[in-house]
Amino acid sequence: MDLLDWARGPLLAVAIAVFGVGVAWRLFSLWRLPAPAGRPAPAREAFGTTDALKASLFRMAPHRGFHPSATLVTINPYVFHIGLALVFFGYAPHIAFIRRLTGLGWPALPDMVMYIAAAATIVSLLIALLFRLTDPVLKKISRADDMLTWALTMLPLMTGMAVVGEPSSALLAQASPLYRGPLAVHLLSLELLLVWFPFGKLMHAFLVLPNRMQLARFLGRRGVRT
Amino acid sequence: MIDMAVFKQFQEAIRHLGEMAQPEPLTDAARLSRAKAVMHRKTDRALAMDLESCVNCGYCSEACHFYQSTQDPKYTPTRKLDLLRRVHMRETSAFAPLHRLFKPDITVADLQEWQELVYDSCTECGRCSMVCPMGINIARGVNVMREALSEAGLVPLELMAVAQEQAGRGTVFGVGPAELLRTVEALRAQGIPIPLDEPVADVMLVTTVIDVLLYQDALAATARILNHLGLRWTLRSAGFEAANFGLLSGNEALQKAASQRLIDEALAVGAHTVILPECGHAYPALRWEARLPGGEPLPFEVLAASEFVGREIGSGRLEVRSGDTHQVVTYHDACKLARHGGVIDEPRAAIAALGVEFRETSPTAELNWCCGGGAGAFLINRAAPLRHKAWEIKRQQIDATGADAVVVSCASCRLNFMEGAEVDQWSTRIVSLVELVADHLPGDRAH
Repeated sequence: MDLLDWARGPLLAVAIAVFGVGVAWRLFSLWRLPAPAGRPAPAREAFGTTDALKASLFRMAPHRGFHPSATLVTINPYVFHIGLALVFFGYAPHIAFIRRLTGLGWPALPDMVMYIAAAATIVSLLIALLFRLTDPVLKKISRADDMLTWALTMLPLMTGMAVVGEPSSALLAQASPLYRGPLAVHLLSLELLLVWFPFGKLMHAFLVLPNRMQLARFLGRRGVRT
Repeated sequence: MIDMAVFKQFQEAIRHLGEMAQPEPLTDAARLSRAKAVMHRKTDRALAMDLESCVNCGYCSEACHFYQSTQDPKYTPTRKLDLLRRVHMRETSAFAPLHRLFKPDITVADLQEWQELVYDSCTECGRCSMVCPMGINIARGVNVMREALSEAGLVPLELMAVAQEQAGRGTVFGVGPAELLRTVEALRAQGIPIPLDEPVADVMLVTTVIDVLLYQDALAATARILNHLGLRWTLRSAGFEAANFGLLSGNEALQKAASQRLIDEALAVGAHTVILPECGHAYPALRWEARLPGGEPLPFEVLAASEFVGREIGSGRLEVRSGDTHQVVTYHDACKLARHGGVIDEPRAAIAALGVEFRETSPTAELNWCCGGGAGAFLINRAAPLRHKAWEIKRQQIDATGADAVVVSCASCRLNFMEGAEVDQWSTRIVSLVELVADHLPGDRAH
């Protein structure tokens, strides 16, 4: 077994297990805490789960009335999140990887779109780091989690770029991977990200919707538009 | 007319308020243990999710008047929850043992440092939550921090003094039933019937120390509106004070006791509606947070004065004369009424009926800027310079409308506006909504 076999086999299994169990434990640990006490006061207007979900989804757009400032760029997180989603779910070798693991597959996006998305994602991460290191607010509130999460998110992108030497059709046509060493490193960087996921702020991927919904419900019952 | 001599006396009284406080002598260990006990007790599922969701994007600073007016990053709203977050992560989160390896425990010095962050530089206005991409209810966390500091005896002395007075004697700024009676008699002498201590009433009106002492016209105006509507209403000596220094200082037991006085009186007279005065924090305290002792919701309706008059005008039950159409007014949404209470459309309906030219501020309604003096911040003497900086955002917002007058529906905001106007020599008129409406009652020009 070489490094790639380890990265594709036991190490990947361990990383997925840590990710799955860790995320489940973190969510369970929140759920086991007591629910807010007491029956709420009568609502000003009915505000159900669907309303809360709708309000949460609308929160993906910047709130009207707030304008992006020079120091806290609004567009950068959009570029990062959309770019990362495109790269992870749209690149043909990634889809092949997911199909091998789960049996699920879908059509890939053209390589050129992927290259642009990957470049944009990397640039947006660099901009995010620049702001975190220079903006007085971000400097003040940043924790080790922010830097570690940044590094572990950047790693798979950088190591991924190292294995994009051929068009995806050429890569997938090979019976065995072209660049075993670099691909192993790329997979290991992904596994690091998966292992770190439940422990740090990457958990926001799972918390964003329920947390937005609880605020929307809190304010919505009072007749406040969020 | 506001008696400016009384306003000056009020300001002078606030300057010496801290001297009245009787801080509890506590060891550092006791302070820390008490504060942490509150943090543990209050960290429910909702708060824990709020604490764990922050991605440190810093967007909340864009919404905070204290950060915007000073550019000091220590005022970033999410940072105000750091102690709460640290205690949760170390002691109640999923990976608490791991966090204990890397995160130091909080100290009394931390608690002392946080006093300025959660009292002086946060009015719990909730504007930060409107911009937070994760939907974190930062104001609620700040309120829990206030409760923790209150339990640790680390409340600013001014708030401590008033809270101790309200808990001990049941009065606020020395105003009790005798002072209320004096004001009621003074208003009756002006020809305004004011029922006091009626045994049965459909509507119970609540007032507040500021109206009894300073804004007596607001109390008179509300009485005139209720009389005009022909309602069977009363004030009650044993439960008239809407100001809740339990909520403001973070003393949960006092908050409940202060609400309970009002609830008991409303139940005693069989009121189906309780109308609160123009007092911002009184609204969430009674409307949204108060419960019967068994935890059930209140069996009567609770309305803010501005909400009540707007609703009555909107329904056609209260008719008002059209006023000076050349008058240009704007409206200041008190945070606790609008952003945290939903009282947004009713005050506008009332103003629209008066026929004046109405101009919205920008931003407005649930995104409106706080005046800087809410949640008890107005009483904290050392916070005056910071409060004034935050107020400048508000003043510029009002000035940009070109309005001759700003209408308010919260006495605390009104005080803060008056103080800001005094310092800045600001000439825009500051008008109470209920007074404005009462001045437009048909056939009631005499008052």
